[in-house]
Amino acid sequence: MDAPLYPPATSFVQPERVAYRISTRNTPIAELMKIPSAWAIITEEVPNIDARLSVPMLKPHLGNFSLRSLVQFGFAKPEQLDRADARLLQLGDIK
Amino acid sequence: MSGRFTVDRRSALAIAASTALLPLGLRNDAAAAPLPAKESALRLGRDQPFNTKWRFLRGEAQGLERPGFDDRNWRVVDLPHDWSIEDVPDGTPPDQLGPFDKNAAGRTATGFAVGGEGWYRKHFRIDGIPDDARVEVVFDGIYLESALWLNGQPLARNVGGYSPFAVDLTPHLRRGGDNVLAVRVQNSGRNSRWYSGSGIYREVRVDVVPSGTRLERWGVGAWTRRISAGRAEIDVVTAIVAADPTMMLVTRLREPSGRIVAEASGLAGEEARQTLSVRSPRLWSPESPTLYTLESELHRGSTVIDRMAQAFGIRTVGFDSKLGMTINGTRTVLRGGCIHHDNGLLGACAFRDADERRIRLLKERGFNAVRSAHNIASRSLREACDRLGMLLIDEAFDIWHVEKLPQDFSVRFGEHWHDVIQSMVLPARNSPSVVMWSIGNEVPQRATDEGVEWAWKLSNAIKRLDQTRPVTAGVNGLLGAPMVATAGTARPGFAGRRDNASTIFLDVPGYNYRLEDIEPERAEHPERTVYASETFPADASDYARLAERVPYFLGEFVWTAMDYLGEAGLGAATNISVGGVAYNLPSWPWVNAWCGDIDLIGNQKAPSRYRDVVWGLSRLEMAVQRPVPEGKIESVSNWGWSDELQSWTWPGSEGKELAVRVYTSGDRIELLLNGVKMGERVLFPGDKMRAELKVAYAQGVLEAVVYRSGAVIARKSLATVGSAAKLRLMPERRLAGSDRQALHFIDLQVLDAAGRLRQDDKVSVRLQVDGPADLIGFGSANPFAVGSFQASQAQTFHGRALAILRARGTKGPVRLTATAGGMAPASTIVQLG
Repeated sequence: MDAPLYPPATSFVQPERVAYRISTRNTPIAELMKIPSAWAIITEEVPNIDARLSVPMLKPHLGNFSLRSLVQFGFAKPEQLDRADARLLQLGDIK
Repeated sequence: MSGRFTVDRRSALAIAASTALLPLGLRNDAAAAPLPAKESALRLGRDQPFNTKWRFLRGEAQGLERPGFDDRNWRVVDLPHDWSIEDVPDGTPPDQLGPFDKNAAGRTATGFAVGGEGWYRKHFRIDGIPDDARVEVVFDGIYLESALWLNGQPLARNVGGYSPFAVDLTPHLRRGGDNVLAVRVQNSGRNSRWYSGSGIYREVRVDVVPSGTRLERWGVGAWTRRISAGRAEIDVVTAIVAADPTMMLVTRLREPSGRIVAEASGLAGEEARQTLSVRSPRLWSPESPTLYTLESELHRGSTVIDRMAQAFGIRTVGFDSKLGMTINGTRTVLRGGCIHHDNGLLGACAFRDADERRIRLLKERGFNAVRSAHNIASRSLREACDRLGMLLIDEAFDIWHVEKLPQDFSVRFGEHWHDVIQSMVLPARNSPSVVMWSIGNEVPQRATDEGVEWAWKLSNAIKRLDQTRPVTAGVNGLLGAPMVATAGTARPGFAGRRDNASTIFLDVPGYNYRLEDIEPERAEHPERTVYASETFPADASDYARLAERVPYFLGEFVWTAMDYLGEAGLGAATNISVGGVAYNLPSWPWVNAWCGDIDLIGNQKAPSRYRDVVWGLSRLEMAVQRPVPEGKIESVSNWGWSDELQSWTWPGSEGKELAVRVYTSGDRIELLLNGVKMGERVLFPGDKMRAELKVAYAQGVLEAVVYRSGAVIARKSLATVGSAAKLRLMPERRLAGSDRQALHFIDLQVLDAAGRLRQDDKVSVRLQVDGPADLIGFGSANPFAVGSFQASQAQTFHGRALAILRARGTKGPVRLTATAGGMAPASTIVQLG
């Protein structure tokens, strides 16, 4: 049997982002925050979410976690996020 | 001596004596033998120990690097050394206990250990080496930032706390007099999420090599290209400094017996490529970790001018979404554990015997892989993995460009990331145990455009040094936005294919706590081969069944295989009021994470016994939850486990119902108390091999009988034990080495009169050592700070403690005696020789 190889690539070009339906389940919090129309929906449905997310310990992880994953810690209620997702769906695909 | 650098027979013998794994005259297990530890005068050759008689000062001052500085009042230490595991100077209870300080900057993250500044000075002479020799000192790791001076002249600085690095001493050497190497080490601020230790905590070695043409440090890269028709083809690339085309490079492979099984020779170009062909190779695998010795020699005519020898294992490792992970063509499921780098009571000190012990303990529990979380593994740990057959994921970073803590490596990352990658890959690329390179763990902002570019840089920097292993990372939470890379940027074969920001440049993604995502994402990404780089201990059965079910899932790495200092209380189980919030934020005096399968001193904890059943090492394990006070319920962290012991000794709980936990591969359980059946349970697959039965406590014998398809397959009983009556000392080895790097581990137990372990005893014990060894560690697995790890008195926890002896360099018997109030003392003898 031949051993596999993992050769290096030659040069870097920023990968192209593919548009997708954003939601509180599949989109990192930091990404949602960068989309004004999306974050406006979130802050309407989950009042005080900005204050709750301002905890310094949490800040490094906002790019890796969804809002939905923080439900267990009391950051939002499932029904709030359900309402937000219904409205986010109306925004269509977003890059 | 003339300026000509040649090797006569005497020097050649000296090289052979001082270089690891040389073939001539060595025993049959030469390739598996540890490196020489005895230190003598420097001479020509590589890999000479440089660990003894360093002078050390904990503190800071000006001018300590000056060669004439009077350091005679400094303490003499032998490396490896970690000042953070020493008692806090002038510490006063209750806020300072042993090495722990309630006000330490690192708080729970570093287990309340204290950093600061320390200085090391090493005096040495080089009388016996040729005038034109080059002298390099090689540090396997200093935590954290270090600055080096030789004879008062600045030499180098290093900022990677886990990076091996070499420094050329030659320009400032005094050939005929005393040389002073001064090292300043600083460990400041909040720079680590776990216990890091402080100081020169790994071994130091010296290479004395030719100043001209020579083999480049870490310049030999070898890999098994093909195993076919009873023959292995091994490609070897050798980098040569100041290459001289009139010289010859000879590369050979010796089997464990010392016999040469393959040899190639050719002109010594700048980068020489050779192929070794081995007939009927003995393959390396976790089950059979056969090590050969790879020798590289530079010849000028008949004279050997430089020589390097290293362990090498012949094996291929494949990753395929349809076949899973294969080693030499055989599917291997990863039964892995994450480990941090500390050695428990020894702090960060990377003693070879301690690292080997950790790997041995994990092998005994069925682990076949470890992930060096989240830093480059020590050489001693990696070599133990090679010898014992433990697969290793070596990891470069916990952060990239965005910090997790204010003073962590993110502040140095932009300038030094490539140094770290090189220092991980080059020294370790010939280790058969290393199966993947990890570029990071739960990296913040990895899915931004900047993060994606960093992933590309890191991944491809590794591949430019080693194309033979896949690149991975520990990815938590979401994988990030979908994206597509172009040809030239993408991994070969993946151009134009939809991937995610966090995985697009990973060959084998590692998932932290993403059990529920693995199967659902298969539909969209059938090309992915993944493993669980961090898991909760309670999910062991789920991961085992998943690995049985689908080949694209390679297996798991539990967080963690062994307890570690720092991340204090991560696995805490605490009793909270009924109706209260199940939110636990451990703090002082918690000092260890308490989330390991194995505790801080090497004993099994409850999750390990469950894992024994899940992995088939045991058919039945039984434990009892510590009685929970009225009005309280137990709250257990995801990383933790209920507070349960293999004990039926619960005074004060007579008549109360206790929770008996049974872990079994059977399908029916019966519980009997003093021969009377107390309950029965049938187990279904959904029970995940565990059941709980309630039994009213009464002294006696609790027995579990387990059936499968109607037949008894296992029995286990727990008996109420008597009061503490005596101590027992159990050396792990009766006969062991006497050199200064040799350690001896002695288990201390509190027993009743019948010789049964008192599972829950905390007893103050005093030790006395008579003989040529030092007591360098004594303590328990208690996750709370209770005192020193280096004093002759300590308190047991769960009825046990561990004593660690370090040989002084001479042979002879060492008697260890343990005494405690009201109990018969114990003694044992360890023979050093």
